[in-house]
Amino acid sequence: MSKGNKLKNSQMLIAILPIVALIVLFIVFCTVVQMNEYRLDMYLKIVFNEAVVLAVVATGAIFIYTLGTFDISLGASTLFAATLGVTVYNKTESLVLMILVLFLAGIVCSLFNSILASIFNIPAFVTTVAMMSVLSAIASQIITTDGGALGGISIPSSVVEPYTGVGFKILLLGLYFGICYFIFQHTKTGRRMKYIGGNPLCAGLTGIKANKYTIIAFVMAGIGVGLGAFLTLTYTPSVTTQTASSIGMNIFIAIVFGGMPISGGPRSKIYAALVGGFSYMLLNDILEILIDSSAAYGITQVISAVFFLAVVYVTSMNYRSQMLPR
Amino acid sequence: MSTPKRIIHTLAIPVLVAVVLELLCLTQGQNIITNAKSFDNFVVYTAIVMITTMALSINLNSGRFDFSLGSMAALSSVIGAQITYSLMAGQKGSSFVMLIITLIVGVVLGLISGGIYVILRLPPIITSLGVTLIYEGILYTLTSGKYVMKTVQNNSMSAFVSTWVYAFIIITVVLIFMIVVFEKTTFGYDYLALKSGQKVAINTGIKEVKNALICYGICGGLMGIVGFLNAARNTTINGGQLNFGSIAIMFTAFLPMFIGGYIGGYCNEKVGYLLAAVCMSLLNSTFAVFSNQVTASTQSIINAVLLVVFLIYLNNNNLIKRLFRP
Repeated sequence: MSKGNKLKNSQMLIAILPIVALIVLFIVFCTVVQMNEYRLDMYLKIVFNEAVVLAVVATGAIFIYTLGTFDISLGASTLFAATLGVTVYNKTESLVLMILVLFLAGIVCSLFNSILASIFNIPAFVTTVAMMSVLSAIASQIITTDGGALGGISIPSSVVEPYTGVGFKILLLGLYFGICYFIFQHTKTGRRMKYIGGNPLCAGLTGIKANKYTIIAFVMAGIGVGLGAFLTLTYTPSVTTQTASSIGMNIFIAIVFGGMPISGGPRSKIYAALVGGFSYMLLNDILEILIDSSAAYGITQVISAVFFLAVVYVTSMNYRSQMLPR
Repeated sequence: MSTPKRIIHTLAIPVLVAVVLELLCLTQGQNIITNAKSFDNFVVYTAIVMITTMALSINLNSGRFDFSLGSMAALSSVIGAQITYSLMAGQKGSSFVMLIITLIVGVVLGLISGGIYVILRLPPIITSLGVTLIYEGILYTLTSGKYVMKTVQNNSMSAFVSTWVYAFIIITVVLIFMIVVFEKTTFGYDYLALKSGQKVAINTGIKEVKNALICYGICGGLMGIVGFLNAARNTTINGGQLNFGSIAIMFTAFLPMFIGGYIGGYCNEKVGYLLAAVCMSLLNSTFAVFSNQVTASTQSIINAVLLVVFLIYLNNNNLIKRLFRP
């Protein structure tokens, strides 16, 4: 076999590794649940409900990461959108208005980030750090004022009852993923985003306006945030200060777990968030079932992190450089 | 620029901040620093902010994003507290022993973090995500997710933060150490060369791996000191910081890092960080004066808004100057 073919084969193998990992984790999860004589259907539902929110928000975030930047305020945006949605529902009792507010809040938060980044030339990661603080603080203020320090704010579960089914959520996920896939893979916008992420200087010299695509990327992420907030409320119709708190950072893990480089560019993959999000949640739940002690959460996190580093190490084997990466 | 002009530019922000905040406090019939106790707090907090900012800047200025600073501080302080308590059971002098042990543990944790980075050769943002999860997991396992109190609540620890003297000594020692190591040694010259031109620096024979490891070691040591000071100041350590709960500490250092960088344009960069830390500490003391009106959420919002406004100025000051030029 020629050197070129060998490289091609190993690249293909590495490309499908995240999907293989997802399948293996799924099989292991089912085995572990059945070995413990738990109800598989119930556990699958739990994993799905946890992972679908992460997958949706992270799929939107792929557009931002493709540009070579990142947004760690997406978890806080989801919390903020959900808080506003619940508040609006409790004031108006209108589900339509609540959904509208969820999406509007997500998009406005993202747009604000993109404007600060693209118009005022502030590094996107710093604006998102600031936004994370602001959004979490405002949401906490609303939640503690309206719901008390220990509780949270909620809507009646009957309001979201018709939307709690797995089938409906798969439909929503499929629809959103389909739109993102089309934009990312089959439009000029997607191609140019990858170009900007890969080589911003060249992209600029060919007349591509990075600012325009930054705004589009953040709007796509904002839609994901709105949808994520809605799916969060369909799972638990109450919002506390801890709601979606780990999403912002888990997005990083989901995307990298799914086989996409954090630096973005042409090697970005729109399915990475979906594959990575479900893999990460499956892994966490497997470990939580297996390790049953007071320190289980800690040990689970350590093993997850080691597994995460190992997977990323293997999937990025073809892209090692002599210099230390930055 | 002449020396008097440099001095004026260097002191402009701290003096302006002090005057504005003092005037604000006077509206409440109080001063920023009301008594000896609040001065002690002021100096201790200055030390915490300055050291965190320096630790953050070491890697961030070299293009290495490190999320693990907070987890290093928390884990090193827990290990330091447990070892010290097992040796001295909170007797006289245990605070100094804990400081030394925490510092050493911090260096070790930093070296492990750096080791993972140089061995795996993954982008530092990814390795730091993994390291954060690992350290948080270990922290949770060691403490069962509870607050650590018994090992850090003793007379020796209370005495350490009940006077400004020790914190002042720490500030002085760290400042001198950082200036000497980063500006007067071969390591420091190599660090600067790698920072400004990685490829060229490596081609000239600079050992990048060794330099990176030392950087991570120093970062860890600094965060060890921060962990110790936080433990002494709060009389407790939160052992339940899972799912990136420890990264918040890093975000508090963003604003002083940018302010310090700006001031550093007119004086020594490290002195700039010290003056920026003084500004943040003044702000913190002002929040204490307004504690009845300004909630923790509002403080977060004020800090974030200040960060954004300062960065808008910093990144657009040429444009702003042109707008106001007659």
